[in-house]
Formats: sequence, C-alpha cells, structure tokens
Amino acid sequence: MKSKKWLSALGVTSLLMAGVLSGCSSDDASSNKGNGSTEDGEKIEVSLAGWGGNPTEEKLLKQTLDDFEKKHPDIDVKYEVISEQYMDVMKTRLVGGEAADVFYLDAFEAPALIETGVIQPLDEFITDDFDVEDFEKPLAEAFVVDGKTYGFPKDYSTLALFYNKKMLAEAGVEVPKTMEEFREAAKKLTKDGVYGFGVAPELARMYWLAESQGGEVVKDNKANFASSEVVDALQPIIEMHNLDKTAVEPKEVGVNWGGEIFGQEKAAMVIEGNWAIPFLADTFPDVEYGTAELPAVDGKKSTMAYSVAYVMNAQSEKKEAAWKLISYLTGKEGMKTWTSKGYALPTRKSVAAELGYDQDELRTALVAGASYATVWSKGTNLPIIMNNFNNQFLSAFLGQADLADALKEAEKQANSEIDAK
Amino acid sequence: MNKKFSRKALRETGQGYTFMFPALIVLGLFIIGPIFYTIFLSFHKVQLLGNATFDFVAFDNFKRILEDTRAKIALWNTFKYVVIVVPCQTFLALILAATLNAGLKGQTFFRIVYFLPTLTSSAVLTLIFMWMYNKDGLINNILDFIGLPTYNFLGDPAIALNAIMFMNIWSTAPFFMVIYLAALQDIPESLYEAAKLDGANVLQRFWKITVPNLRPVTSFVVIMGIIGTFQLFDQSYIFSAGSGGPDNSTLTVVLLVYQYAFKTLGTMGYAAALAFLLAFVILVATLLQRKFSKEESLY
Repeated sequence: MKSKKWLSALGVTSLLMAGVLSGCSSDDASSNKGNGSTEDGEKIEVSLAGWGGNPTEEKLLKQTLDDFEKKHPDIDVKYEVISEQYMDVMKTRLVGGEAADVFYLDAFEAPALIETGVIQPLDEFITDDFDVEDFEKPLAEAFVVDGKTYGFPKDYSTLALFYNKKMLAEAGVEVPKTMEEFREAAKKLTKDGVYGFGVAPELARMYWLAESQGGEVVKDNKANFASSEVVDALQPIIEMHNLDKTAVEPKEVGVNWGGEIFGQEKAAMVIEGNWAIPFLADTFPDVEYGTAELPAVDGKKSTMAYSVAYVMNAQSEKKEAAWKLISYLTGKEGMKTWTSKGYALPTRKSVAAELGYDQDELRTALVAGASYATVWSKGTNLPIIMNNFNNQFLSAFLGQADLADALKEAEKQANSEIDAK
Repeated sequence: MNKKFSRKALRETGQGYTFMFPALIVLGLFIIGPIFYTIFLSFHKVQLLGNATFDFVAFDNFKRILEDTRAKIALWNTFKYVVIVVPCQTFLALILAATLNAGLKGQTFFRIVYFLPTLTSSAVLTLIFMWMYNKDGLINNILDFIGLPTYNFLGDPAIALNAIMFMNIWSTAPFFMVIYLAALQDIPESLYEAAKLDGANVLQRFWKITVPNLRPVTSFVVIMGIIGTFQLFDQSYIFSAGSGGPDNSTLTVVLLVYQYAFKTLGTMGYAAALAFLLAFVILVATLLQRKFSKEESLY
C-alpha cells in the first residue's frame, strides 16, 4: 500500500515536471524553426527592434519595410516595438542572447555598447554603391570606433530656437541672434504669467552652450565641466532663472517638456528639435511660431545634433539578411520614404537635397545647424557624466547652490564613479 | 527492528521530499539560488554584455560603497523615509481601525472605501498623484484656494521625497488597518465592560486596553512596514523617470541598485554589493525593533 502511494506520488510529480518541460521544449522547437529556415528557398526572418513613434511615423516605417520585403521576397521582417525603457530591455536581451538582429541605437549610448563587443562591425559588408560618403560626416562618425563602422544613422535632429510670433510682435522684439539679444528679448517677453524662455536644465540640451566659450565638458573620457569656461558659459541660464526671472523649467509651470510649455503659450521661446514640429501641429495647431538658429555666443554658432542608427547584433545568425535590411533602411531609397513626411531629417546629403527640407520654412534652421552641430555622443562615460551634471545643475538652476560649487561637486562624483568602474 | 524502522523512515522521508520536490525546485531556483548568486556577484566585477567576465575583486565593491556619495545620499533618503513613514502609517492604521470598529453607522462602507487605495496598483497611484502634485494640479489649487503657498512638488528637491512619503502613507495605512481590524475582533468584550464599570473613559480604554492588546500585531505591522519602506522603488522610479532626481532627492537604495545593475554597464557586481548591504540593514532594523518591543506575546 505504502509503496503504491510512493509510486503515485512519483507519477504525479513526474507528470507535472513533464508538463513544465514540454512547455519549454515546444517553445524551443518553434524558435528553432525560425532560425533554421535559411536553406531550401524558405523565407528568412530578420527581427528589427525599435522604440515606437507617433502613428504617422509607424506608418512610414511600415511602408519602408513593405517596400523592402517586395524587393527581397526571400526576407521577412519581424518588427517589434519596445516602448518603455528601451536601452534596459535591449541590454537585458543582449545578455540573454535574445536580442533582435537589427535594432535602433542612440548615438549617446553607442560608444559604451560598442565597447562591449555586442555590436557587429559592418565594414566587411559595405559595398561601393552604398555610398558611405553621402552621409553627413559628424553624424556617421558617432558610430565609428577605432576606424570600424558599427552602424549608420537613420535620421537626426538638431536644436533650434522656437519663438511665438504673436508674442514677439506684441513685445516689439526681433528674433534674437546672439546670447545678449536673447537675454534682453526674454526680459521683454516675460509678462502676465508668460515667461520669456522655457528651458530644459539638462546636459543634453545645454552641451552646446556649455562648450560655447572654449571649455570642454568631457575630456579624456572624464567629466571636466567644472572648468571656469564651462561655468561662465552656463551662468547666463542660471541668472535668467534666478535674477531676471525670465526663464522657467517646464515642471515649475506644471508641464512636462518644452513642446508643451511652448504650445500652452506659457513661454514665448523654447529650444527644441524637429520632434516638436509634428507635436505642435497635432496638439496645438493654433500657435503661430517660427524657428531660428540658436543664438550665437561670441559670434560663433553652435547647436546639438541627436542621431539614431540601425545597428546589427553581433550574435545574429542571419547577418547577410540583416545587412540587406540595414543597407535598405539607411540607403537612398529607404531613407527617402522614411523621411518623406519630415518627421525625421535625412542623414544622407543626397536625400536631403532631393526632399528639400532646407527650403521648408520651419526646418531651414534645423537643417542649417547640421553643418556646425555637436553630436550628442562623447565617449563611453557620457551617461554617468550626464546623470551627475543634471542632478547638480538643477539645484543651481533652482537657486539652491552656487553653480561653480554645484558643478565641482558633480564633477568629483562623476569622476569617482568613472574611476571605480 | 532498528533496521526495519529506519527503512520505513527512509521511505517516508523519500515520500515527503517527493511531494515537496516541485516547491523545492521553485524555491531553490528563484529564491535560494539567487541569494547565493548575489553573494557570489558582490565579490566580483561583472560585465555581462559581450563576453561575460567575472573577475574576483574580494571586498572592492563594499569598499566602493564607502566612497560613493550617491550611495550615502540613497541610504540617507531611505532612512528618512523609513523613520517618517513607518510610525505615521502604523499610527494612522491603528486610528482608522479603532474608529471603524466602534460600531458607527455605515462602517462597512467606510471599511471598503478606506481599503480601496491599497487595491490600486502603485504605478497607477503614482501617476495619479503626479497629476495632483502638478504645479497647476489639484493639491496646489486647494492650497491656493485656502490661502497657503503652493509648491513645485515634482521639481523641488526639498519637497519631492515628502510628496512620495505622503502618498505612501495614504496608500499603505489601509492595508495595515485591515490587519488591526482583524486583531480588534480578538480583544474580549469583557475587558471593556470591566473598564467601563471602573469608570474608564473612551481614551483610557483605548490606551490601556486596545493598544496593549494589539502589541503583537503592532510588532508585525512595524516589521512589515520597515521591510516595505526600505525597499521603496516603484514610486520614486516613476516620480523621477528612473533618475532619482530632482537633485538625487528621491534616490533610494533599491533605485540605485537598479541603476547600477541595468543602466550603467559593468557594475552588476557593485549593484549586488549594494543589495547585500540593504538586506543587512533591513535585518539589523528588524532585530532592533524586536529587541525594543521585547515580548511578542502579551500573555
């Protein structure tokens, strides 16, 4: 009797275990099928991962991918959207060997990720017709490490000054061309609960200004933003908030970012990029605004450029097909479709010339910036440097610390984190 | 005889383990295994991406905590949070339970209403509170209406953590209220009757009968509260979009662990060391609490 019980217990347990195991194995079988279908004229499935965009962008990407599939009937593209915490998800999948064959990579994150060796260098695949020279040089270089190319930028945006036409006209202010004019204009525009300048007090948006007087924010892959040149260059922003009371951070007036503060007409000027144009058209179509190049400092123009590339997973088993996809998406034809609506600016000079965004009223300033922009990508430690800068810069911005002291503290912390790595 | 007995015992043991086998697998794989793996990781410098490397560095990760300003800020923030939230939520839970047990009209309705916040997911709750905390949001409007100064709850480093504290007290207290309510049913009515005959008023009965009789439960509530508050993560994560800002003011230990584990590359070992430290701190806090409350049982 006892032994029978024992047996049945064993039976039940093994049944349970078998259920669990078969659950796993059926998964494996199906994914193996996907990998093993390269031969016999079956379709190859290439996976592509990115963060989502607005519905129009999604439609454009889908159209581009459809065109690609038509040209390459043997390749199926499986597109997947990772809408939240893209880099965290991507890193985890790369560790687990489950990442997509082709995926988006922000220039800002690129150097650190490339250093780990999980991104496939593309040099062996590049052919002459791909025409590498056609890319805007600074943008393409953000994805080149030690002479090897790891990705091609799919699009970019620079920063421009967005100004509310009505408010400027009412205050009798010309569009500011220099930092001094900008500060004066902000003073005149601040009235009746409206601020002159809606500012994002963070390194990604302040970098151009921080380096405008010859300082270097990052030097030898370490934080160097406490130098007097950088502090002097950033001081006007702090003074605009604390002395002139003409600048305001979005959260202080109950919104989340510059596009909203500008759209709700709580600030007359903001510094934003191409992404704000479709947002304003969709959400605040009644705001009349113009764009201009960022105010020059000491007669020198500068701006930031943000770029995202398509890169290939080094563990991918379908590299040939993955390259076909990358070369189509960043090629002249694919890029033309993708950027045709102006939601993103083309990184290829030939495509830019063909689509004529330099003639587009709102985008002239953004395109003009491309030639002198600083790309938001500076070595492997930029994420650490940015995090520490943002924390301390905000406390100086809110008037809780002196800027020079705050940045010194942040630099110390950033460099100790970098040294400990 | 002895041999036979041991064979029987062996068989019974085998049977027992067979029945426990599935549970043991799950426990071992997801709880006990990871604990030992964390200890292993905390003594190594770990780079998981690319060619995964594990370099033994002995106590370097723990030494690094001593020099890390952000780790100190995170510990200090977490400590402040625990010291304020735990007593407040325990006291509030006790008051709520006592009032809802007094036999008022419609107390079942209020029990349900008070319990609702606990049922809401903390992520949703945080998002709703962020709207209310907005510079033009509900709370500032009310403050403005009654003539009090308004605050930039989300963006001001001096206030952000307090905003999270308030939210958490409000949402966790009802959970402990239910536990207190259950415990209140166990206090014999005769004690209150006797006290009444001796001429004790409501407050005296509360302090001399209710509170002492609830001591074992209070001890449980405080320990659970300490563990829960030391592990504050989701609220401050959503509040600051993962950065622990503004100006590190909402940076907690678990958020810092998350940042080092998943945001920065190659600091998994250091993150494990921080997690280990947190476990140690919670252990010490719990032991201290038990020492101070002395007896678990009243009788």
